[in-house]
Amino acid sequence: MRSLVRAPGFQAAIALTAAVFLSAFFLVPVLRVFRASVYDAAGTSLTLFNYPHVLSNRFFLDALANSLVIAAAAFVFTIVIGVPFAFCIARFPMPGKPLLLALAALPLVLPSFVSAYALVLMFGRAGLVTRELHAAGIPFGSIYGTPGIVVTYVLTLYPYVVLPTVAAFKSVDVSVEEVAQNLGASPMRTFVTVTLPIVLPSILAGALLVFIEAIENFGVPFVLAEDKPILAVETFKLFAGETAINPAAAGVLGMLLVACTAVALLIQRNILGRRYYATSARRAPPLLPVGPGLRLLASGYCWIVTAAALVPFVAVVIISFLQFNGPVLHYQFSLDNFAQLLGRSYRPLANTLMLAAAGAVLATLIGVPIGYLLARRRSRLTALLDIAATAPFAVAGTVLGIGLVLTYNSGPVILTGTWIIMVIAYAVRKLPFSVRSSAGILHQIDGNLEEASINLGVPPFVTFLRITVPLIVAGIVGGLVLSFVTIASELSSTIVLYSGPWTTMTVAMFQALEGTSAGEAAAAATILIVFTVLPVALVYRLLRRYELSTL
Amino acid sequence: MTSISIENAVRTFGSVRAVDDVSIAIRDAEFFTLLGPSGCGKTTLLRMVAGFCDLESGRILFDAERIDTLPPHRRKTGMVFQNYAIFPHLRVGDNVAYGLRARNVPSAERAERIARALKLIQLQGYEDRWPHQLSGGQLQRVAIARAVVIEPSVLLLDEPLSNLDAKLRVEMRGEIRRLQKTLGITVIYVTHDQDEALSMSDRIAVMRAGRVEQLGEPAAIYGAPESPFVAKFVGATNLFEGVVTGRVGDQIDVAIAGGALRVHDARAQAGDRVEISVRPEAIRLLVAGEAAPAGWITLSGTLSGVEYLGAVTRLYVRMFEGAPPLQVAVASAPAGGGEISMAYDPARAVVWTKDR
Repeated sequence: MRSLVRAPGFQAAIALTAAVFLSAFFLVPVLRVFRASVYDAAGTSLTLFNYPHVLSNRFFLDALANSLVIAAAAFVFTIVIGVPFAFCIARFPMPGKPLLLALAALPLVLPSFVSAYALVLMFGRAGLVTRELHAAGIPFGSIYGTPGIVVTYVLTLYPYVVLPTVAAFKSVDVSVEEVAQNLGASPMRTFVTVTLPIVLPSILAGALLVFIEAIENFGVPFVLAEDKPILAVETFKLFAGETAINPAAAGVLGMLLVACTAVALLIQRNILGRRYYATSARRAPPLLPVGPGLRLLASGYCWIVTAAALVPFVAVVIISFLQFNGPVLHYQFSLDNFAQLLGRSYRPLANTLMLAAAGAVLATLIGVPIGYLLARRRSRLTALLDIAATAPFAVAGTVLGIGLVLTYNSGPVILTGTWIIMVIAYAVRKLPFSVRSSAGILHQIDGNLEEASINLGVPPFVTFLRITVPLIVAGIVGGLVLSFVTIASELSSTIVLYSGPWTTMTVAMFQALEGTSAGEAAAAATILIVFTVLPVALVYRLLRRYELSTL
Repeated sequence: MTSISIENAVRTFGSVRAVDDVSIAIRDAEFFTLLGPSGCGKTTLLRMVAGFCDLESGRILFDAERIDTLPPHRRKTGMVFQNYAIFPHLRVGDNVAYGLRARNVPSAERAERIARALKLIQLQGYEDRWPHQLSGGQLQRVAIARAVVIEPSVLLLDEPLSNLDAKLRVEMRGEIRRLQKTLGITVIYVTHDQDEALSMSDRIAVMRAGRVEQLGEPAAIYGAPESPFVAKFVGATNLFEGVVTGRVGDQIDVAIAGGALRVHDARAQAGDRVEISVRPEAIRLLVAGEAAPAGWITLSGTLSGVEYLGAVTRLYVRMFEGAPPLQVAVASAPAGGGEISMAYDPARAVVWTKDR
């Protein structure tokens, strides 16, 4: 499409909007965190000693090492679990595949710290299962620290590997596999020497997303780490904790967080950029003719993994309807937990719905035009836009939140403590997804359609409304809903930015967790689950797997 | 009723001159074809006329009106895209109506014109079908109907038949030509298929590397190619390079790798380096003992390959040491093989003198 995207005004308007929005609410805040890291504790004089000072501290060094080890473990185990899963789905005859794939993708939209909390409820020190095991005299170790965190990440993040890998296995042109076998390679050899190398970039790209998520996640280690220092949590504590506030050290840790995720994102983009050979299947490979035994095994494996990832969520929902006496659970149906939680105030629920809706709409309004420009016009300007709009993905929510507070708690515009700053943070965090998914949708719509319309006498902007919008609207709505549900369970920037009247459901759950009201926390988690699963189920037909895998 | 003047059109992509100072005058109601290999600039030139590609310099006029400065939606061209570009979310009738609605044609007239356009392409009554229910050939015809229903000044067709199967392609050739004559509309047709170009066009511009290599009627393009490139690109031919050794009346003798040829030529002098094209059908097989027609020149060689093409059979004859085998088109392959003798008409050979 030529005229609309080449109209200087149109392009300039999009670029300018993006530039202003990203500078004010992303670039400047991140630079403010950087600035904090190079000033002394009083914030008055420039210094370079914060970095060596923090890095020579055993505790902070441990935090960095722990975060990297946990993220690396999540990277490896999601591949180990996800790739066979993807292969079975793509190549084995199996009943109920669409349902299986839908359920397998579900953890991506569910709040991962709820899964972590379920783990605590079941296997924690006073967990249901732990007590039963102890009563039966079976010893059971601790799930706190690294093991619990890694298990939670693997169970909630493995779809990041499964979804792109299924697509890649399906997009391998069958003729290249046939050629390998025709040249004398056994099926196993063909898989290792031909199929796997073609699919590998997709696997790695997905697993790097796992790595990034695992580094920046705040809620899971907050629930499960106990005394183990974790980068994202320590950054938060240093900035907004109850004791030992140290903005300079928080700045240094924040920059370390950004460095880890940015490097991973750069590698991921680089791998994706070279993925061209996996996307041109002319004939998809047929399902493998395997015997009933193997088929059963494959089916069983996939269903067990899927179920294992969803069981914690189901458990939380069930527990939320049971009677609590303080921390002690009775196996008796009760709505008390909900009554207590909502009896105090409906505000958190209303806040979550309102803020998530506003954040999702804002991200869509800014992101879709950028995606449109990226899909329809390649230039130096759009390349720059692409980088700028993807960058927020590399910055942990905690760091962005801290940066926003630093930038807008004084000066001409004061936003700290308002709902506006939360909506802005959500929009910035969801912008990469919004841009990517809308560009992805537009890439599949032939630019000739728009040219044909213009050629028939319809001006560019009207063409956009009459041809482009109807073709992309379903995908945009799907993306909007995905943004909504992931914002609703967002925690890492919310925990930094919320203020009393703007407490969200996630914050309410955390407050209940920190107190002793396990029942209220479970009720809050159930409400969150309902408000994520329901919208996604409603628009599931509008969504494409592509969008889930770019979340 | 529109004539088109393209004057000194230039367009560069990076360091490549996609369209390099092209000037073409297309007559009113002419079927004009841009023919060339991929990357020769033919599609870029067509998109310049439609307005989807800017000119760096030069201009384009419809009759006396300059149009290259107009935005594409105000140029009154009807364009048919290679992949049809049928709007997938609109029914056939709404696809055809699309340009009429943009022009605010009243609904009664609109319905009538849609019906007429669908009749023209033999898809009467298809108004309510969805595009996904149609075959490739039908989609192609809807794309044509959608372009002509707005009664454009110029119809632009960008390799419209390349996605169709061979039989349908031949059928659609005739249909598009008939349509153009019925409507009396000026057409620019882009293709890389020489058969399409030769069979449909009033005139053809053969393009190469952004320039027009030759412009003329199909018979001239095929029969009197102005360059070895045109001779080779349009139809099969035998090309020889050599040096003129002498002149006998209106004929010259040329030494080529491994042998010598005698051909008609008015200009070349002894010592000139020349290139010669002899079409396979200008060579005839001689049965044992048969004399060559008067004025023809005999050759002999060894049969090295036979290609059965249905209507004709192409023989490959090894004649000169070190030269590629000669292609000869015959009605049927000779029995036996081995040594065969042939004759060619020196007047049907084409000679180009290279720069001295």
